[in-house]
Amino acid sequence: MSTVRLDDSNQVVPMLECSGITMSFGGIPVLRGISFSLEPGTVTALAGENGAGKSTLMKIASGQYRPIDGTVQVRGQDLVSGNPQAAYELGVAIVPQELASIPEMMVYENLFIGREVKTRLGTLDRAAMVKAARGYLTEFGLETDPKTRMRDLPVGIRQIIEIIKATHRGARVLLLDEPTSAIAEREVARLATIVRSLRDQGVAILFTTHKMEEIRAMADRVVVLRDGTLVSDTPLADISDDGIVTAMIGRELDQLFPERPDASNDVVLEVKDLVITVGPTPINFTVRKGEILGLAGLVGAGRTELIECIYGIRKPHSGTVTLSGSVLKAGSPQDSIARNLAIVPEDRKGAGAILSMSILDNATLPRIAAFSRFGVLSRRKRRSAISEVMKSMRLKSNGLDQNLENLSGGNQQKVVFGRWLTGQVDALLLDEPTRGVDVGARSEIYRIITELSAAGMAVIMASSDMPEILSLSHRALVMRETGVVGELDRNQLDSPDVQDTIFRLASGLQAEPLKDNTP
Amino acid sequence: MNSTATAPAALQPSNWKELAGNFLVRHIMVVVMLLIVAFFAYRSARFATPDNLTNILIAAAPFALIALGQTLVILTGGIDLSVGSVMAASAMAAAWTAKNAGDNLLLPLMAAVVAGLLAGSINGFIVSQFGVPPFITTLGMLTLASGFAYVIGDGAPINGLPATFGSFANTQILGLTLPVILMIVAILSLAFIMKRTNYGLRVYAIGGNRLAAEIAGVRSRRILFSVYAISGLLAGLSGLMLASRVITGAPNLGQGYELDAIAAVVIGGASLMGGRGTVWGTAIGLLLIQTINNGLDLLLVPAYWQSVIKGVIIVAAVGVDVWAARRGRR
Repeated sequence: MSTVRLDDSNQVVPMLECSGITMSFGGIPVLRGISFSLEPGTVTALAGENGAGKSTLMKIASGQYRPIDGTVQVRGQDLVSGNPQAAYELGVAIVPQELASIPEMMVYENLFIGREVKTRLGTLDRAAMVKAARGYLTEFGLETDPKTRMRDLPVGIRQIIEIIKATHRGARVLLLDEPTSAIAEREVARLATIVRSLRDQGVAILFTTHKMEEIRAMADRVVVLRDGTLVSDTPLADISDDGIVTAMIGRELDQLFPERPDASNDVVLEVKDLVITVGPTPINFTVRKGEILGLAGLVGAGRTELIECIYGIRKPHSGTVTLSGSVLKAGSPQDSIARNLAIVPEDRKGAGAILSMSILDNATLPRIAAFSRFGVLSRRKRRSAISEVMKSMRLKSNGLDQNLENLSGGNQQKVVFGRWLTGQVDALLLDEPTRGVDVGARSEIYRIITELSAAGMAVIMASSDMPEILSLSHRALVMRETGVVGELDRNQLDSPDVQDTIFRLASGLQAEPLKDNTP
Repeated sequence: MNSTATAPAALQPSNWKELAGNFLVRHIMVVVMLLIVAFFAYRSARFATPDNLTNILIAAAPFALIALGQTLVILTGGIDLSVGSVMAASAMAAAWTAKNAGDNLLLPLMAAVVAGLLAGSINGFIVSQFGVPPFITTLGMLTLASGFAYVIGDGAPINGLPATFGSFANTQILGLTLPVILMIVAILSLAFIMKRTNYGLRVYAIGGNRLAAEIAGVRSRRILFSVYAISGLLAGLSGLMLASRVITGAPNLGQGYELDAIAAVVIGGASLMGGRGTVWGTAIGLLLIQTINNGLDLLLVPAYWQSVIKGVIIVAAVGVDVWAARRGRR
């Protein structure tokens, strides 16, 4: 399929060159005159906050969207835009965020789909495909059996198989859209290795991300988008972490986080001898009035499970949770709500918002008793209470009767958050409170969290976003394998090597952390 | 994307066409209904007479009760396939009681209510406590209840019932028969319950997102149980009315009604995925189906062709609704 050979002449032809790419959806500009190029054997990070235009740019580069203006060239040839097949023929492959693999089919079938190996009789030569597939997998350091069903594999492996599929068909430009958003930290390291080995084979790689660690671990160069404009394009060595973040959000990171007033000494919530599943040492900690307690850890460390146990969505193996002096009934969200405990779950669409219902109804649900008499909802009471709260949350909507499915992620999150605030909240559980929330709404959510804690709420906040833990919390716990492995006070959180400390605790390794990426 | 930017544009007078269009799109089923009514009124002189409209309502009544129960079940994301046979079993239970208890009205009523409620509660219990898919659970109940209906009558209809047995369906108050009144009361009260009470909001919530509803404090198992119990209870009453109309308990009564009930709910704009739909929508849907039945009868369309035409209209109506919804969303 791909017949173009790399020549070793001194002049490097860009693998992919975008010039003046402009795009808009429904009159709203998404990309404004973006120009950049990818050279063979390089890894470029395309960084930017949600909504900066990264995915759109990826889709234009892979021929899925036709830009309003500008051109894409692959090795000097114009890409006929709006034609993914043409891009593919030119050697541009994309691994989308939502993987396109077929879960019910086996690994080798996925690898060969559309270009199956046939026998002389025209039937499928499965043996040959399995053998070839095994070769590819080994080449990429996977020991997966090619006859495993795709759906039985973790997302990280499936993703690597998608990369194999793309590259063994001769892709010279590999576009990875948010490659690490769904995979475990351990798998990120493997992905980084694979990306580097593809780079060494001369493939030009572009990946989108908004995480600093990944940029440091994988990229040679970073291109930053903000609000559809290219704001920075520099070799990684020439830019600091702060520089990248500032470019991404358009202001200093410090301004993102509000001031943090001191906590009081009264204990509001106490977790005692809690064991999530049979395992390591029981978990013990307290949260004081006005305190924000951060929960750090890797994916799968048990942060979400701990929060679910406290709230009562999940029954712990043993142990108790005490709120304002009385023990919470295990496994009963109703009891937790009645005792003024509130939660903002990690999975907003799956566990927080009811998308098919209006803002008003979503916000009524947790405090339904307060808004009704003899089981009949009072119209005026709930409307006025909810509209007041949503105003203080600075919710942007067309009115309280708008369905949540028509709101942006950040505004949905404000509803999931704000619905508790029509009543008293003594303790608040936050699980990844800003996941999938754009930067503008994010700073507002930080402001709200800080204001609530200042008003006396005890807050437990699980987060994978390091700046969030470091800048918001009064104290942080680090979790690993459903146990707490470390506690950091404010002074420790301010120390310069705190990220390393947390990473070491969280991974349980004393080895060098991921950050180090000398090739 | 940007809500503040689009809102003022919609208020400009130049957009009145769009506004009218939006209204039509949003209430497309009412429009379809009016078109169908206009067509029959034009083709048949007898269609638009008060007598005939009463006939439509009388025919709609037993069917309305099960469609309303079905609405609740479908709103939770489930389905109740058993209502037709639960009608039959309840009717047989009522007829058997009437035959053996003599001139008593209360006992047959109780028998039908208890039979319906029992069947619905079993459905609800299995679905909510064991998590068996509603389709399977109620499919089992369909077969089981139908079997019981035949067992009760020893394989034959129960005839020779006291004349008072007919009073459930044939008593008139203010010129309306009891079933029609019951239908109107049921529509009004369920519309109120679904729109204005805690219970209604919780039903929508678990249909929209069960986990999120539970986290917000909804006891989803209770709600799930209740919708199947209500559906069974209404099927029981519906069976009683059908049997009372002809003063006979027939074990095959109500056969296939579940499909018309589901069709009515879906025509009414409900999503089989749960969380979307209204009682008013169902009311429109069932009137639509009944109007078509009645109009085709008046036009002397042969029964088998009626079935073909009805099938086409159901799919077309929902197709138009899906199209309108997609347009409305853009």
